[in-house]
Amino acid sequence: MKYKNHGIYGLLGTNGAGKTTTLRMILGILKKDSGQISWNGKEVQRKHVNFGYLPEERGVYPKTKIHDQLMYFARLKGMKKANAEENLLYWAKKLEVEQYLQMTPEKLSKGNQQKIQFITAIIHDPELLVLDEPFSGLDPVNTELLKNVIIELVKKGTYIIMSSHQMFSIEEFASDVLILNKGKTVLQGNLKQIKETYAANKLSLSTKQNVEDLIKQVGLEIYHSKDNEYIINITGEEQGYKLFDELAKAHVKVEKFEIMKPSLHDIFIEKVGE
Amino acid sequence: MKDLGIVISYTIKDMLKKKTFLISNLIILLFIIVGFNIPNILDAFNSEDESSVPTVSKVLVVDSQNVYENKLSKLNHMNLGYTFEIVKEQTYEEIKQKIEEGEIEEALVISKQGANIKIEYIVEEMMMLTGIPENYSNALSNLYKEVQLSKIGITEEQISAIEPNFEIEVKQTSSEEVKGNVFVIMLLSLVLFYAIYFCAYQVSSSITTEKTSKIMETLVTSTKPRTIVLGKTIGIGIVGFIQVAVIVIVALICAKYSLPEGILESVLDLSQITPTLGILTVVYFILGYATFALLYALTGSTVSKPEDVQSANGPVAIVAVIGFYLSYFTMMNPTSDLNVFASIFPFSSPFCMPFRIMMGIATPSQIAISIVVLVVTILVVANISIKIYSNAILNYGSRVSIKDMIKMYKNKDDSNG
Repeated sequence: MKYKNHGIYGLLGTNGAGKTTTLRMILGILKKDSGQISWNGKEVQRKHVNFGYLPEERGVYPKTKIHDQLMYFARLKGMKKANAEENLLYWAKKLEVEQYLQMTPEKLSKGNQQKIQFITAIIHDPELLVLDEPFSGLDPVNTELLKNVIIELVKKGTYIIMSSHQMFSIEEFASDVLILNKGKTVLQGNLKQIKETYAANKLSLSTKQNVEDLIKQVGLEIYHSKDNEYIINITGEEQGYKLFDELAKAHVKVEKFEIMKPSLHDIFIEKVGE
Repeated sequence: MKDLGIVISYTIKDMLKKKTFLISNLIILLFIIVGFNIPNILDAFNSEDESSVPTVSKVLVVDSQNVYENKLSKLNHMNLGYTFEIVKEQTYEEIKQKIEEGEIEEALVISKQGANIKIEYIVEEMMMLTGIPENYSNALSNLYKEVQLSKIGITEEQISAIEPNFEIEVKQTSSEEVKGNVFVIMLLSLVLFYAIYFCAYQVSSSITTEKTSKIMETLVTSTKPRTIVLGKTIGIGIVGFIQVAVIVIVALICAKYSLPEGILESVLDLSQITPTLGILTVVYFILGYATFALLYALTGSTVSKPEDVQSANGPVAIVAVIGFYLSYFTMMNPTSDLNVFASIFPFSSPFCMPFRIMMGIATPSQIAISIVVLVVTILVVANISIKIYSNAILNYGSRVSIKDMIKMYKNKDDSNG
């Protein structure tokens, strides 16, 4: 895989597909069996690596003051004291954990601990940030906070590799994706381009009255319906337009009409789910 | 190098901030101070109770049949530590009253029954007594002999002429001279063992804590495994050393100012404690600590669940205990070959050699060899530990087996950096 422009690179896969293993290899903390990993043209080695990393295994020192442990990691990553202090405060404010800095993590909720660990990963302004399942376990408010920070980092020019099995988060952020299945790449590339290669397969329709019979007349199959809202299986855009003409002829009041490309979710299922 | 400093200072600060660390040290110091002052504390209680009683206790001796032919007053010249009051007649009731009023401490009632001399020994409480104290019976029997011998015309000079005057001197044929009380030295060896062992054990628990709290992955992407292992070992070592030094200094101060004079000198020949011995003991403490701490770093990194810690540390504990007992039991016979071996074998020498030096039986070449052996051991153990540590730390789930460890050690990848 290649990662050219800054932004978010999505790494997808089933449980046990090898996402974490791949990330660890990228970080140089796990020996690779074969292949090559390079950054700026240089082979990645553990001793040179100064990437940011949010591991899937969440962990903080339970009994050490949050401020002290954040400073410890910042200093280990080569930051000067004053700089580290400045970044620490900045991100603590952004992620709304400022008031916990003088406390020990054992008193915090899991979500807050996760935000602390996220600061550990970004405190030294890394060029490349590796996030393993960053949103798992966060409530909607904190998910939003984290999303905003990630967007800010992308604007700053940070390269981010993000693994997840939550499709919506990848679909929302990632421009490039790679899907792993049992350690093998099954699909990779620009998400938009990938989607374009897929034909439209669903039609979303919402009307003022019941049009079930009309849909059946046209010869289409209803995938799911509820209160005059229909999801209809189609094999191409043409089928959709044909139905639209029929609806117009019958003077049906249409509230919503959308021809849908397969979602990342559908693509994922198609690629890895036998 | 800079990272190493950061890890060391973080480790030290982290340890010093722990409440359990502070409390346990305060308890140890308190025990030492109280322990050394027990004689003073007891004195304080006793002096209050007996302020009106004369310091030398009085013993009443009743000899109604004049068995000793008026010679009993001689008891007062025999330095038995008591004043003897000799009377002819006293009833048991009168004696009892005198003891209860504190006028006398105890009484001896002498009478003759046929060929035997009967002695009644009257005390307030029997407690642990099983019979008449030996010094009384010796004094009384000697005095009786004297009385009887003088009856048949033998003078005091003649008696003292036949009393042997022994002057006992012990010499050994071996040229090695052992100085000091072996049992005290064995006790000191036990103290040194515990100091080294518990400092080293902290390294294991510190590493396992990092693994069980899942902080490890963040840590290894922040710095090199070697820096973590060495930084931890050095940081905990510094704290442990200061801890032991404070305890030893407090104990020495207490010993000097609180113990009754002469007690310390009676168990320990202070002239044996030289600056060289002090420096060498510190060297052995540091080397011994490093050996066991690095072994513990290895076992600590192979577990990821707190409940596995005990069993993973088992082998190191066994090695340490074997090393200790090897040194401890051979110390009873310090000139034996086995004790020489124990002073060179790297897992026992830290607990053994300082005391051979103290006893004055370690040769400079033995000291040099044992230090070299220890340093080489540390380098080998450090190399293995760092290699296995850097491969094992990301292993979660089941414990790393010995087979895995060998594989990890052979892993030539430079990922341990």
